[in-house]
Amino acid sequence: MSIGAPDSSVGIEEHPASAEPVRASGVAHGKSPTRIAIDRLRKDKVAIVCACIVLFFVLVAVFAPLLAKLEGGDISTFNVKLVDEFGFPTIGFTSDHWFGVEPRTGRDLFARWVYGARPSLIVASVATLFGTTVGVVMGLLAGFLGGWVDRVISWVIDFVLSLPYLLFAIAMVPIVESWRGGAFTLSPEEQASTRFYVLIFVLSFFGWAGLARVIRGEVLSLREREFVLAAKAIGVSTQRILFKELLPNLVAPIVISASLALPAYVTAEAGLSFLGVGLIEPVPSWGQTIATATNWFKADPMYLWLPVIAITILVLALALLGDAIRDAFDPKTRR
Amino acid sequence: MSDTVRPIDQAPSNAETLLQIRDLKMHFPIKEAAGLARTKKVVQAVDGVSFDLKAGASLGLVGESGCGKSTTGRMITRLLTPTSGQILFKGTDIARLKEKDLRPFRRQLQIVFQDPYSSLNPRQTVSNIISTPLRVHNLVKKGKELARVQELLERVGLNPEHHNRYPNEFSGGQRQRIGIARALAVEPEVIIADEPVSALDVSIQAQVMNLLEDLRRDLGIAFVFIAHDLGVVRHFCDTVAVMYLGKIVEQGPREQIYGAPQHPYTQALLSAAPDLGTIRGIPPKERIRLVGDVPSPIDPPSGCRFRTRCWKAEDICATQEPLLEGKPQSTPGHAAACHFAEPKLDLTAATA
Repeated sequence: MSIGAPDSSVGIEEHPASAEPVRASGVAHGKSPTRIAIDRLRKDKVAIVCACIVLFFVLVAVFAPLLAKLEGGDISTFNVKLVDEFGFPTIGFTSDHWFGVEPRTGRDLFARWVYGARPSLIVASVATLFGTTVGVVMGLLAGFLGGWVDRVISWVIDFVLSLPYLLFAIAMVPIVESWRGGAFTLSPEEQASTRFYVLIFVLSFFGWAGLARVIRGEVLSLREREFVLAAKAIGVSTQRILFKELLPNLVAPIVISASLALPAYVTAEAGLSFLGVGLIEPVPSWGQTIATATNWFKADPMYLWLPVIAITILVLALALLGDAIRDAFDPKTRR
Repeated sequence: MSDTVRPIDQAPSNAETLLQIRDLKMHFPIKEAAGLARTKKVVQAVDGVSFDLKAGASLGLVGESGCGKSTTGRMITRLLTPTSGQILFKGTDIARLKEKDLRPFRRQLQIVFQDPYSSLNPRQTVSNIISTPLRVHNLVKKGKELARVQELLERVGLNPEHHNRYPNEFSGGQRQRIGIARALAVEPEVIIADEPVSALDVSIQAQVMNLLEDLRRDLGIAFVFIAHDLGVVRHFCDTVAVMYLGKIVEQGPREQIYGAPQHPYTQALLSAAPDLGTIRGIPPKERIRLVGDVPSPIDPPSGCRFRTRCWKAEDICATQEPLLEGKPQSTPGHAAACHFAEPKLDLTAATA
């Protein structure tokens, strides 16, 4: 358009408002974003395989009592007859004991393996859920509200990130046990449940800060975008702006973080149990089995390999699935 | 010359005054370390802007980048809270209202943004974007939202069947239309158009401008049109206000501003605009070249803010700030803030 007088021949009549080309309506549309993401996930073979593997482990954990019953074993019966005087099991894989028996005690390994999937998945998913929720809310508030709220939350994030996580995890167990009256007065079940909750608390307490920081950064850049201003100009409440306008734009970092956290927590649970600060007898867990099995590795390698393989496959499947979900939710990736 | 301008329906002169802006100021505090102490300085982004807007009228706000046009627009829609001054909407001062009390006014004052790529939420469907204002203000009953969304889409010239698509499936011009539809959803009386076409390419600009004109004519919406494209403003606005460094330097009816500008800055601005005459080989009679940069709004010059770049500047300009007032050769409604205001004709090529 020139500075000169507008040419009268360029008028409204020649340019009807709907002059822009209308796209062919044959293109697929009318799908919700979740629907599109699921459709794209379905086409991803790796995602399908990984989802099946994760589902398999979830089913194993859920139906652990049923599976153990099917096999005929249980987690706590000592079969002293099945081990020799040095503690080595005298049987391999049999129809009674599908994965053999534990050295020294002779407990059924299949039952302990299927029950062992439970703490891994429960601890990891509860800690992920809790850590992600707190992280997202804190990050949203800090980033969007700014000012002193941001300063306080950022300080807490830095503080949490500066704490040594492993020392904390190790120190928490005796502290909480002493709150409950000391380790000697507690029954093994009480001790085991204490450790279970301490584990979830420690993992989620250290898990939210990193995500909160990522979300805060994302929100800082998103809140300057004009669609947020447009929502404000319309009169949308802060709560709605946070959760309806901003949150859907944060799906990618949240899914990435959760998909990294879930396998990391499975490993962390196993690792802490291996170190002796995680779950203890009588609750069976893979990490604890690995810890015991290292002593018997030369004589009975399968004792070690079963939980190790299970953890490796589960962690790998979770990580790849998270990757695939992120790709599916991102409208920018076209694969 | 003015008879070649396609007559846009002039706002009736007896129309109700919708919006009165009085001495609006926006000072952004900045922190700067000066030695050991921290000095508190302010960026005087907008420093005393006043104007009126009648129902159905259209005011153009022009000026170069950083002169406070957009800040003014954002203050009127209360995306920013002004440092001082009044924003009277139908007599009520909304400059200091709390968000809760501001709610009913949010319906009356809407804004269309410059960048259609950032003004639509990429994760929401068009239908969701346009129905948000409907839901926030409870404008339609549940179940009738879609019909209203489709009506709005049709109004802005989009295919109503595309309501379920995402913004990334649309072109820039189409996205801008969606942004306009969102602003229209609340049936506002005033739309602040913050450079609505500067991010679009020229052929699409014309279409979007025509759409805005249609809306103005059919729905009687008043516009505050912020732009740096003088041609677009000339096409669309009855009154024009020229801003420089946070202040209005000249204000008046379109014909006077474009035909006989009195403030040196307006003259420079108009003569700097590219025109078809030059391209066609008719050299402009005179091109005013300003030297130097725009002074910093943190520390604006004393007296007249334009004096550092003005060829007419004399001693009085540094000591006495010129008021925005009517001049001897002004037509009604015209005002210029200059001690040496005089009309200069033939700045714009009328040869096209």
